[in-house]
Amino acid sequence: MSGTVSALRAEALELVESLHLPTKRDEAWRYAPHKTLSELTFGPATATDALPTDIDDQVPALDGPRIVIVNGVVDATRSQLGSLPAGVQMVSLDDADQSEQRSEVDAKAADDAFSILNRAYGDGGAFLQIDGQPTETIHIVDIAVPGETQNASASRVVIDMAVGSSATVVETRIGSGDAFGGSNVCTEISLAANASLEHIILQDLPSTQVHLGRVDVVQAAESNLRARLFNLGSDYGRVAYHVHLNGEGAHADLSGLYFGFGTQTLDQQITVVHDAKDCTSRQSYRGVLDDSSTGVWNGGVDVRKGADGTDSEQSNDNLLLSRQADVNTMPRLEILADEVSCQHGATVGQLDDEALYYMRSRGIPKDEASRLLIKGFADQTMDDIESDAIRTWITERLGHDDA
Amino acid sequence: MLNVANLTASIEDNPILKGIDLNVGAGEVHAIMGPNGSGKSTFAHALAGRDGYEIEGTATIDGADLLEMEPEERAAAGVFMGFQYPVEIPGVNNMYFLRTALNSVRRTRGEDEIGARDFLEIAQKAMDLVEMKKDFLHRSVNAGFSGGEKKRNEILQMAVMEPRLAVLDETDSGLDIDALRVVAAGVNALRGPDRSMIVITHYQRLLDYIKPDFVHVLVDGKIVESGDHTLAVHLEDHGYAGFLNSGLDDASLSGATA
Repeated sequence: MSGTVSALRAEALELVESLHLPTKRDEAWRYAPHKTLSELTFGPATATDALPTDIDDQVPALDGPRIVIVNGVVDATRSQLGSLPAGVQMVSLDDADQSEQRSEVDAKAADDAFSILNRAYGDGGAFLQIDGQPTETIHIVDIAVPGETQNASASRVVIDMAVGSSATVVETRIGSGDAFGGSNVCTEISLAANASLEHIILQDLPSTQVHLGRVDVVQAAESNLRARLFNLGSDYGRVAYHVHLNGEGAHADLSGLYFGFGTQTLDQQITVVHDAKDCTSRQSYRGVLDDSSTGVWNGGVDVRKGADGTDSEQSNDNLLLSRQADVNTMPRLEILADEVSCQHGATVGQLDDEALYYMRSRGIPKDEASRLLIKGFADQTMDDIESDAIRTWITERLGHDDA
Repeated sequence: MLNVANLTASIEDNPILKGIDLNVGAGEVHAIMGPNGSGKSTFAHALAGRDGYEIEGTATIDGADLLEMEPEERAAAGVFMGFQYPVEIPGVNNMYFLRTALNSVRRTRGEDEIGARDFLEIAQKAMDLVEMKKDFLHRSVNAGFSGGEKKRNEILQMAVMEPRLAVLDETDSGLDIDALRVVAAGVNALRGPDRSMIVITHYQRLLDYIKPDFVHVLVDGKIVESGDHTLAVHLEDHGYAGFLNSGLDDASLSGATA
């Protein structure tokens, strides 16, 4: 099944002709708005000029290198690619050497319609190679601007971490305008032995748009992934993680926050495959759902044969702020190995009346007390994010900046 | 200061308080003692404004009708309730919580808000009072606190809020003798001519440290006996048994007056 990128693209383009969009019967797409998804149109990437020059008020104020992708095309003007830190190569995918074989894992796993569409049309994007320990946060911005010929963009991000390297990479995904459309972004991450990556996704497309994100990670021995997702924007905002722990002692720590208003559906699909001995994984997600928004958390751990000594934990905690809000939480576990420790738990609750009463008895008005409780619940997902710029962006986005 | 007359409280037609009369004058400390299930905590929550009770009768503070007020309005009117089970609020910073609380009541009273630096001084004084370590302000409200820390935090909050009336609900429960001493010393330091207190307890032990001006015995939703602090000593020696059997006959329904 493996092949070069161009061969895979040719194959994908053929498949597009007879594409079957996901339906309610596909477990991973069960709560997706299928009619809306069928209205997304894709095609070869084309540059647009319908975008304000200044995007800085929409993205975190990070000082480091930045690559900006607009409708699947790298925008050199808005990017900051001069004087990259030592050991960092960041270029447009078009300029990257892609003659090498893609791993069998990537090629096989992504067989849903939108992954095929991404392979067919998402030939633009960012290629990031790290062989060192840059201290600056590396920023990848993806902007969807619904166009005349097609309303949805497709792009790819490739992150390649060499042996023993470490970095923090932020992917900010936004959109422009108030037309219907969206973005389809696939990220491929490979961590060589002892590599360590903090990968943060900030999803904040306009509520008229759809975001379909997919992150495939392959981890070698003793590598360390810290994946953080802030799934906040879009009418339907989806991010799917497929993490393969292929080397002994690899560690993947995934967590995130989804915070829905209006009629949003925020969907997280996570699968961590333990395919080597003594790997550890953590999944810890929180959802806050207001109005008639819907949250989906489908988190799986697959422990393959021989992955003895696996240690995994999953948790998903949800706060429903309205009677119309809804959440679907599904921890999944499949174990084919020995001596494993796998724990999972999920909670769905409302604001704690006792805590509200306690705060009100101290003079804090009800609305303010609710706001503090919600903030307290949500902010715990930011606990280990060190970048002030990112923390500030998230708190401002959530309207918590006055606290 | 506080005037309570014929106060009743019930939950789903199940009467808990059956007519409480109590007058607390400025600067007085009243102890309310009683066996488990007598309605002590319900009385405290009825004054603080917890939802879920059917309440009748009257309760006024400085003439203002407490029963008409939301819990936060009662706080602004000067009522402070020390919880028997202080609530854990993960993710909400103690210092931010305290400052929000203080500034909320100040706003309601039309007073200026207190800035971060001035607040730190107020908080520092309060922390010294209950012997709290500095990192305490940066932890989440009560989250992961020991029983003693939670109770000390209640007294710390009281010191910051400077209430007119403090209702302390079983502040002594779950405290070892050292923690009890710290908490009691904090309470005593906060006594003053303008501050009244209602100290609710099951045991006389706390009253060795906080000497009340009046003691009331609450049995089956009614005050059945009132007296000075010697009544507490009597209870310690004889228990509540005498009141349980013939309580209503001896009842002193008028309560103590200032």
